[in-house]
Amino acid sequence: MKTAILIALFAWGAPAFAQIDFTGEWAPAYHEDGPERLPGPELGDYMGMPINEAARLRADSYDADRISVVTEYECRPHSADYGMRGLGDLRVTREINSTTQELVAFHTYMPAWGSVRTVWMDGRPHPPDYTEHTWQGFSTGVWDGNTLIITTTHLKANYLRRNGIDSSDKRTVTEYWTRHRDYLTVVTHVVDPVMLTEPLVRSQNWTLDPGQKTQRMFCEYQPEVPSAPGAVPNHLPGTNPFLHEVADWYGLPYEATRGGAKTLYPEYKLTMPKPEKTPAAKCERFCVCSVLQDCNLHSVPPR
Amino acid sequence: MREVRFIAAVILGSASLLAQGPPRGPRAPQTAKAAAPVDFTGYWVSPVMEDWRWRMVTPLKGDFASIPINRAAYDAGEAWDPATDEAAGLQCKAYGAPALMRIPGRLHITWQDEQTLKIETDAGTQTRLFHFNARAPANEAPAWQGYSEANWERPVRGEGDPRNGVPPIFSTRTGTRGKSLEVVTTHLRAGYLRKNGVPYSENTMLEEFYDYRTAPDGTPWFTVTTVVHDPKYLVVPFITSTDFKKQPDATGWHPTPCEAR
Repeated sequence: MKTAILIALFAWGAPAFAQIDFTGEWAPAYHEDGPERLPGPELGDYMGMPINEAARLRADSYDADRISVVTEYECRPHSADYGMRGLGDLRVTREINSTTQELVAFHTYMPAWGSVRTVWMDGRPHPPDYTEHTWQGFSTGVWDGNTLIITTTHLKANYLRRNGIDSSDKRTVTEYWTRHRDYLTVVTHVVDPVMLTEPLVRSQNWTLDPGQKTQRMFCEYQPEVPSAPGAVPNHLPGTNPFLHEVADWYGLPYEATRGGAKTLYPEYKLTMPKPEKTPAAKCERFCVCSVLQDCNLHSVPPR
Repeated sequence: MREVRFIAAVILGSASLLAQGPPRGPRAPQTAKAAAPVDFTGYWVSPVMEDWRWRMVTPLKGDFASIPINRAAYDAGEAWDPATDEAAGLQCKAYGAPALMRIPGRLHITWQDEQTLKIETDAGTQTRLFHFNARAPANEAPAWQGYSEANWERPVRGEGDPRNGVPPIFSTRTGTRGKSLEVVTTHLRAGYLRKNGVPYSENTMLEEFYDYRTAPDGTPWFTVTTVVHDPKYLVVPFITSTDFKKQPDATGWHPTPCEAR
């Protein structure tokens, strides 16, 4: 009898031993790629992206009017992976089974397009391939020491960068969540056999911000620029006039702005061509940009 | 009532037994190398998939984007002149510890001794030393790489992790021992956060967290989260995280001197 009670007591507390507490309100640090993530990426900026030729061709056809004209794009949410890189005030809550006290799931909320995710922690399997794909996909998590590893499948096609570099619905996203003190770091490892030649690996950071009150976002469909019914703004191959802008504005070789795996590695610096145009003497666009309020074309910090 | 007493006794008894554990004799402390939960040694490369145009090329003068600078940093950055740095022999100002891990290149990580982890970079040919179980000497001179105190991440509380031989009873601790390396660096010589002259001061304190993982294809990676504290030039701490992929060997290792432009 005593043995049975003792065993029961041990079993009582056993299940959820590997938990870091991610719950709370997290404020994003836009200290990497601020201009891409705050006002938005420049057209033709494919830098740092291990894209294949098909993804590049598709991106070249992108016309930014698409977001203003095509209903399906106007309020298009950010998917689970792009949401972590984009606008990212973040709230994390956890769901506990009231009887077993086991962690069932983490839930995340991001105000951008009201994105809600569930990360199942109860060991359930991913659904079959034919199951519906959604913006946030289907996520399961396991612990590896102090790191939470999340695997997400069943994602809809979305953005890798919101300037025409798209992701496919065939991708798998693995995330690594780690908390150190009041800093949260999430590594996003995207494998996309349709668009990428090697995994796209980026990491994002947040700081705990108990005072943050995440807002509700409204997005209404309405035509923003005149267009013919059913039109999808685009550029046919070889006709996009904006692709050289980013290279010229920032004094970069055009080839480097086209992305691709070879441009990611240090040795590319040895073979990188010279810029086609003489670089400007000084930065002229989004030169101070680490928070949304200060990320204007010509911001200067106050004295 | 008797049942309640019995359960309470079992709880206290079991807790007491667990607290006592097996008989212990004096134990020599493990060296940092022996205690390493993961192996960071080897060659690593950072594929530049973030901040490409601020890392792979020297950005235009006055490009402070993404760095939470104040006006003093802005003014200093506007006055940046690489020729002056070259003339003064200060080509390594952008290769100090707060910026070094963000510079494209390869790392070679080894144990210098049982308590010191060494990181060498080919870019700028710099060496960082992570000192475990040590404090900066009082007369430590400021240097580009400063003085780094390192620790393997420890649990906030030492109980409740079955891997430590202590089974959980009621509540289990949060924050099990992971694969993380924590580093704090001080005694820095003033330098640049970015090659185009965005400054950090000599009073900068650098926090870093190194997290090891294995990618789905089996390749080891680590991410270093870097937090730069510098009230002189930053309005909030500057936080970045940089991802490194393990290399099978020294292929691509290409030592180069510091460059000011």
